[in-house]
Formats: sequence, structure tokens, C-alpha cells
Amino acid sequence: MSNLYILFEHASGYALFRVREFEEIGMNLPQVEASVVDLSKFATVVKLVGFYPFQSGVNALDNINAVSEGLVHDDLRTFLDTNLPKEKKRAKMILGVADSRIASAINEHFSISCQHTGVIPELLRGLRLHFPNLVKGLTDQNQSKAQLGLGHAYSRAKVKFNVNRVDNMII
Amino acid sequence: GGGRGGAGGKKVVVEPHRHPGVFIARSKDDDMLLTKNMVVGESVYGEKRISVDGENQEKIEYRVWNPFRSKLGAAILSGVDNIHMPPGTKVLYLGAASGTTVSHVSDIVGPEGLVYAVEFSHRSGRDLLNVAKKRTNIIPIIEDARHPHKYRMLIGMVDTIFADVAQPDQARIVALNAHHFLKNGGNFVISIKASCIDSTASPEAVFAGEVKKLQSEKLKPKEQLTLEPYERDHAIVVGNYRPVGKSK
Repeated sequence: MSNLYILFEHASGYALFRVREFEEIGMNLPQVEASVVDLSKFATVVKLVGFYPFQSGVNALDNINAVSEGLVHDDLRTFLDTNLPKEKKRAKMILGVADSRIASAINEHFSISCQHTGVIPELLRGLRLHFPNLVKGLTDQNQSKAQLGLGHAYSRAKVKFNVNRVDNMII
Repeated sequence: GGGRGGAGGKKVVVEPHRHPGVFIARSKDDDMLLTKNMVVGESVYGEKRISVDGENQEKIEYRVWNPFRSKLGAAILSGVDNIHMPPGTKVLYLGAASGTTVSHVSDIVGPEGLVYAVEFSHRSGRDLLNVAKKRTNIIPIIEDARHPHKYRMLIGMVDTIFADVAQPDQARIVALNAHHFLKNGGNFVISIKASCIDSTASPEAVFAGEVKKLQSEKLKPKEQLTLEPYERDHAIVVGNYRPVGKSK
């Protein structure tokens, strides 16, 4: 029987979950959909294996730039290497991820089979909905704070925003 | 002092609108749509401000919302049944442009709410970033709404998606974002400009076509209205995503 893991990338860091009842759930989408809504149900389906909190704003920006381009950042590589099962067991596991490009990038680095369709998007909806309740120390408030800070940093970099120029205009 | 602009010194009475978080100023000659200014003392795009006495002698400041400059404002004055943005709502706003309407949505959802504001154009994006600097419930995202996976790290599940992207594949863009970020039972409010979808077909045919596309993506339209006289050949479609409590 193969094990299913899921990678969830958040503004506050990387999280890896193991899907516990994968054998029973299998690929039954309606059942997954039903389990995702209710936290008490969902918490029995997924178990947090590891969490890597970004070390700084710069570190988070570095990582989102890689993720949005479908690249495996060094931090992600280390995180997965530390938290995934031992190498011998990796042939038997499946890693659920959010998009096809990061799937092939991870597959290249680790020779793990990655999946981003079927039940995976549904499970990711569940993780997105319940994330602050699944990681210790996270709250709905501080997860939004992380999104706010990273949203500004990511977007500023996109428009090559010149902070000084705008400040000059205000003065 | 207060009362600057708008009323020109005349007596103004501010009443809550039927939509929570929205207000209306009644004066002798005309009514004005308002939102309660989250950043007191500042206008975002040159709009007028009105301040009135609150219950405990304190001043409450509102910003005037021009329906000719905002599709959401026009929808409210056209009598839309529900905008699904009461205070505390988390909104994903696609096509945020320079952030003028976004700033009013920020006022409406208030400090307990959040507006994830997505805009692709860098030129508008700079203005949006400046608006978001002052309003900490706006999370600016300069990225292509066609590729939600690119900004997946920045967004949590939301209650409502508002879309004004004016692209031919708008329905698909909304659906993609809904599948990633919209809660089961969440709502969507979409502004459709007929000529952006198909300039040769009649607006009615375009709207009907868009509604069909939405339905095929678990987005169930409930209400449709045109934005005359504020906009020509525009419709607002409001609906529900994966309705909760209904068996499949």
C-alpha cells in the first residue's frame, strides 16, 4: 500500500502532512469533499509531519519566488529531505502538491512520484481552510499577518517599487 | 473641520444602508453612497469626505462612493439583493486596478475582514500598493489572476470572490480561483462587460453564455442585473459556490 503525503506552502512556512486514511479514502472524491469541511473530521484524515517556518521576510520572499515559478528552493529541498520517509521507502509513497511544475521539479530532485490532480486539490482546500488549527502556534490572525507582509514584499518586487521615490512625493 | 465637501455645509443625515457596512447620506437635493473611512482624514482617489457626529459626540468620517466610477457601487445603487461582504468578510478581489473600489470594500469589511486584492498591471499595481500601505486589511497581490497557483502562498480560504477582470475568459478565471480559494457555500459577485467577452453578440446573449459557463463550474448564479444608467452593457452576476446542505 502506498503512503500519501501532502506539501502545503504557506506565507509562514512549509508544511508536510501525511494523509492517514488514504487507504480507505482512496480516490473517492465525494468522501474526501465531505471530510474536508469539518475540522474534527479533517484532523483525523491529515497529520502534520513537519513544519519549516520561514526565518525572515527575505527568506519568505526568496521561497515564494521559487514556488511561484515551480522551482525547488534549497529550504524546500532540505525540509522534504528531513521530513519525508527514508529513501528506501520513497519509491512506495506519493507526494501531493499544488501544481504540475513543482511536481516535476520535486520528482527530479527526489525521484518521488508526485500528484496534483484527483483528490489532491480537495485536500489542499481542507489544509487551506484549517491550516491555523493544524499547526501549533499559528492563529488566524498571525497567518494573515504573514500573508500581508509577504504580499507586500512579493508585489513590491514585481513592480520594482521604489519606496524612496514615493516617499519623496508624499513629502 | 468636518462636513467638508459633499454637502457644502447643508444638513446631511447618514443612515446605514441595507447592505451591512454601507451607508447612505440623505440631504435635500440628493443621496450619496458612503463607506465609513477606515483611515480618517484621508481620501484615496480625491473622493469627498463627510463627517457627522456619532453617538458619543465623536466624529465619524465617511467617504463618498461614486457609482459612475465603481461597478460595485453601481450594483448597490441598482438594487442588487446581496453583495456578500458584511464586516468581517474575507474577500478575494480579482481585477483590483488602482484600488479605488478596493478601498471601499476595505472600509466595508472593516478591521476584522480581509481583502486579497489581485491586479496584474504593474502601473495600476503601484497605486494599489500605496492604497494597501495605509489599509492593513488589504493584501496586495501583483500577479496574473489566470495563474492562482503563483500566489497560492498568499491567500487563505475566502467567503466571497469579487471579479472585475474584463477578460474574455473571465468565467474560467473566476472558476479557477474559486476551486483554490472559495469556501464551500461561499459567494461570488462578477461584473461582466459584454464587449470584453464578445463584441459581435448582443449583450443579453453574452450574459446568458457567461451564466452557462459559471454553472458548469459549480458556480450557481442566483441574481443578474444590469448597471444602467451607470454603465452600458454591463451586468453583475451574483451567486453561490458549492451550496452547502444540498445533497448531490
